[in-house]
Amino acid sequence: MKTMEAKPSMGRRAWNWLDLRYKLGPLFEALLHVEIPISARTFYLGGITLFFFMVQAITGILLAIYYQPTPEAAHKSILFIMNSVNFGWLIRSIHSWGANLMILFCVMHLLRVFFQAAYKAPREVTWVVGIVLLVATLGFGFTGYLLPWDQRAFWATTVGSEIAGAVPLVGPKLLIFLRSGTEVTARTLSRFFGMHVLVLPLSLVGALLVHIVMVHQQGLADPKRKMADPNEVALASAPASGSEPETKRKLLPFFPNYVLDEVIAWYVMLAVLIVLASLFPAGLEAPANPLLTPAHTKPEWYFLFLYQWLKLVPRIVGVALPILGGLLLVLLPFFDRNPYIAARRRPIAITIATITLIGVVAFTIWGWRS
Amino acid sequence: MEEHPQTGSDKGQAPELSRRRFLGYFLGFSVVATAVGVLTPVIGYLWPPSKAAAGGSGRVEVGKTIDFPAGQGKVVPVNDKPVIVVNTAQGGLKAYSAICTHLGCIVGWDQPRQFILCPCHDGRFNPINGAVISGPPPAPLPELPVTVEGDAVYVTSGSA
Repeated sequence: MKTMEAKPSMGRRAWNWLDLRYKLGPLFEALLHVEIPISARTFYLGGITLFFFMVQAITGILLAIYYQPTPEAAHKSILFIMNSVNFGWLIRSIHSWGANLMILFCVMHLLRVFFQAAYKAPREVTWVVGIVLLVATLGFGFTGYLLPWDQRAFWATTVGSEIAGAVPLVGPKLLIFLRSGTEVTARTLSRFFGMHVLVLPLSLVGALLVHIVMVHQQGLADPKRKMADPNEVALASAPASGSEPETKRKLLPFFPNYVLDEVIAWYVMLAVLIVLASLFPAGLEAPANPLLTPAHTKPEWYFLFLYQWLKLVPRIVGVALPILGGLLLVLLPFFDRNPYIAARRRPIAITIATITLIGVVAFTIWGWRS
Repeated sequence: MEEHPQTGSDKGQAPELSRRRFLGYFLGFSVVATAVGVLTPVIGYLWPPSKAAAGGSGRVEVGKTIDFPAGQGKVVPVNDKPVIVVNTAQGGLKAYSAICTHLGCIVGWDQPRQFILCPCHDGRFNPINGAVISGPPPAPLPELPVTVEGDAVYVTSGSA
């Protein structure tokens, strides 16, 4: 039985001991005790993407413990993980599903930010860093796909890098760079492995920290504000009370209110991951055979729209147009100078985005059914 | 769990405090349950599967009789474990585990001096019975059964 009330709890005393020495109070005050507009609707998409990234980091480290990145051993080591290692099938299936869900939620987060016009001033650079994060996430998907070294992995990478080879001007060099030679070989595998477990994680974590610090410094965008204002007072630096001259924004504490909701969303996602991984575990095809292309080579669902698009148009157009689209996406906050926030006040942006979105979804379904 | 009925019946305290404490325990239980649920597969995964630990066992052909002339010895693999086979005038054909009983280095045959030598800390073993002659090894090298059929030499290991 513990002695209550009279003495502070063990945890509290440990905290006080540390706080006395390292002054943790002000740090946590600054990190957690910020406020967000009560009308903000994030749907927790960015936080869920972060959750999936953490899941990928943990399961990825676990997989790397048994995985062997050589053509002779890769496929066997995956079989070993699936069949012999305790919970190996679960860890790999969660990694596989987590990758898909991370991309899905990253894109949904982007769409939310777009439709709520949260990328507008003063949050232009946060958007650009966000696109960098999306590209890094897709890079994870592309490089990770090769690692099981089965037929599907080998041929998806062959076709995918061939497409990169069609990029105007730098294409042929890019193809050699990606494959570490003219063909997909052992050198491609170790290159993709290095990218997947070292280069991309470090880059993504760096960009993620920048992204989060930026969001923290400015606070969440209020979708109910009338116009984008580059001089918008940063919520984190504004005093919690006495913001009279401000437009009397209604605020909600980030901690615990928002954080609690976010954690609930993470719990739901953890359950979704476990259910999906258990019911539909990750598969493995026959070992890669460079002399035999299987009948229907298709990329993962998030590249399907590109795949279908490339079937319809000449290769140079097919590759150049998505690159142009990507560039426009990065630069969006800089050429979309319309300051209004409400969707009906920005008909052009909303219309173009909706048509593009419908196009991408239609091409994805088309590519999937073809 | 024991605190559970207390919250309802305890009239001495303000009800807010009891509810707060109950929720505190509930939160603690949830955190612990989550940690256990996540850590169980992770620790289970990290523990090497039993198949990988056992190297296998049984009788293995290590060479022909002409490979082991008198007064010589050599290290051969038997079921993924190193075994030293020696042929001496007094002891005849013998096989010992080549893993030094001191710190696990692989012993070798010292041709000029005619004994089994561990290169790490100068442990010396008698080739006739595997006993320690000198040096730090705490125990003799375990002997393994050798059989000769025709001109083939077999060593049997890992009867466990």
